[in-house]
Amino acid sequence: MLTINLFNGLTYGALLIVMCSGLALIYGLRRVVNFAHGSLYMLGAYIGYSIAGASNFWVALVGAPLVMASLGVLLDRYGFRLLQDRDPLTVVLVTFGLLLVIEDFVQTVWGKSNLSVQAPAALNFSVDLWGTPVPAYRIAVIAVGLAVALGLSLWLRYSKVGLFVRASSTDPTTTAMQGVNTDALSAGVVGLGTALAGLAGVVAAPFLSLSPSMSSDVIIDSFVVVVVGGLGSLAGAFVAALVLGMVQSLGAVYLPDESAVLPFAIMVGILIWKPAGFAGSRT
Amino acid sequence: MSIQKISLTTVGALALGAAVMSFVSSGTVLSLLTQATIYAVFAIGVGLLLRQNGMVSFGHALFFGSSGYAVGLLLQAKAVPAEMAIVLTLAGLLLVAFAIGLVIVRVPGVSFGMLTLAVGQMFFLTASRSRGLTGGADGMNIEWPSSLFGVSMSVLTRPSSMFMLSWGTLVIVILLLTLLLATRFGSITEAVRDNEERARFIGIRTLLPRAAVYALSALVTGVAGLLSALNTGFVSPESLHWSLSGVALMMVVVGGYKALWGPALGAVVYFLAKDVLGDYASHWMAIFGVALIAVIVFSPSGIAGILDRLLLGRRLAHKPHAVPTAATVRH
Repeated sequence: MLTINLFNGLTYGALLIVMCSGLALIYGLRRVVNFAHGSLYMLGAYIGYSIAGASNFWVALVGAPLVMASLGVLLDRYGFRLLQDRDPLTVVLVTFGLLLVIEDFVQTVWGKSNLSVQAPAALNFSVDLWGTPVPAYRIAVIAVGLAVALGLSLWLRYSKVGLFVRASSTDPTTTAMQGVNTDALSAGVVGLGTALAGLAGVVAAPFLSLSPSMSSDVIIDSFVVVVVGGLGSLAGAFVAALVLGMVQSLGAVYLPDESAVLPFAIMVGILIWKPAGFAGSRT
Repeated sequence: MSIQKISLTTVGALALGAAVMSFVSSGTVLSLLTQATIYAVFAIGVGLLLRQNGMVSFGHALFFGSSGYAVGLLLQAKAVPAEMAIVLTLAGLLLVAFAIGLVIVRVPGVSFGMLTLAVGQMFFLTASRSRGLTGGADGMNIEWPSSLFGVSMSVLTRPSSMFMLSWGTLVIVILLLTLLLATRFGSITEAVRDNEERARFIGIRTLLPRAAVYALSALVTGVAGLLSALNTGFVSPESLHWSLSGVALMMVVVGGYKALWGPALGAVVYFLAKDVLGDYASHWMAIFGVALIAVIVFSPSGIAGILDRLLLGRRLAHKPHAVPTAATVRH
């Protein structure tokens, strides 16, 4: 019993890692808290559903994030870049407007009923984990989450572009003066962040059903993660995502009455103790 | 504004409401206007926080829904008379909001918005799941007594009197806030909003004024919640949901928060537009999303700002308001 719950917690945590690293990247470079991130996740899931229906899941896994990446680049070029000198709160409200538009678009194109995506045949088996059978697909989700976490950390730490990203998120003006094209960099990073939201959507599709309400649950959980982890801290978000996944999963079993409130209670507790989040240095 | 001008505007606004009440005979139109007016009070609550603290709340539905639930539960328990229940609800809301405020106003910038969202959702989930107490997702009926403050319920809930009650409340709320913000309290909160560090240097304790503004904005929102509970006789978890907070915020931004009455204008525009757009109603989210983005990009001060510019012309250009900008909102 405990094994399967820990395992489910890990799966949801891995999904949140993919979601929140996109959110944290966009915040890091553009100082934008993207309220539409959950809707982008939903859009990615529905685009994945259509691609998977036309060909197969593996094409969707690559195709949907690519579509989302181009959308992200456009969003940065025609949205965030034009608004970069404005009050951060107004940009938050613009993303809220975007959320409404995307939600309406998804409901118009795909309807309001629940849809589902089949897990690929190659992953449609169970693995024995300490006497508990667990679906292989969920192991793959955990692998994706860890790969995203590891890949992003290595990319930011060791690649030249990663260095530029870190420099630009600390001081964009100086970075631009050193000859880095920060506009292209931001567009690329927002594209990457949006692609990650789309990837999370496609990955989630086979184990969470697609519905017009799927965005609001995940965006609120993601906010809890980035606030608890510290806005802009990727490492903080990774840890907080895993902790929240566990809290959700174990809470539902051991404290069913309080489970809904638990993540928020943790969030409030952390913020009283450390208003910038446990790994955050800036806001 | 001088006292004379304020009293004149107030009397004029009340007369306008009375005129609307007596000339509009259609019950449907009146109840639409009543709803718009109730949401105008709600939006003024959210706008007050943004105007006076520079903070965006994505969780004010918490106070809108809570006041309905609180008065509903007090009436259900039959422990106090209804008038007392209303007073207790508002006083309790003010205290609780002040306590919450002491904790959360310390969280800077956009984190604050996310935190209010989370706290609001916490209460939404609690209300949806406590079936025994609140009726869960089905909501609960509020058992109003047969008369309130000496007025018979059947008279009070007539569309025309319900409209006049809401309108009167709206006017009085704006009047009281105008008077309050003209005092030392108003200057202190503006100083704290514009530059918290500098305010601290000149010896102002910044936490208490911020929490007080938060509590005050919650109280105004709670008044709107009570009006709604009286209007519909019903409260459900939907009145606590974050999307409602988002709608209120849209009204604030579209109407413009730099003027105290801007959010109220936004609420009226929102309801009238929603009614006019009836044919496209299924796409209202996209329509309002685009409208919201357009207003923010092209007129950050909202419709109120446009009106101000049109009415006052160049006079305003030479008298800059102390409004939060990128440099002054703390982040």
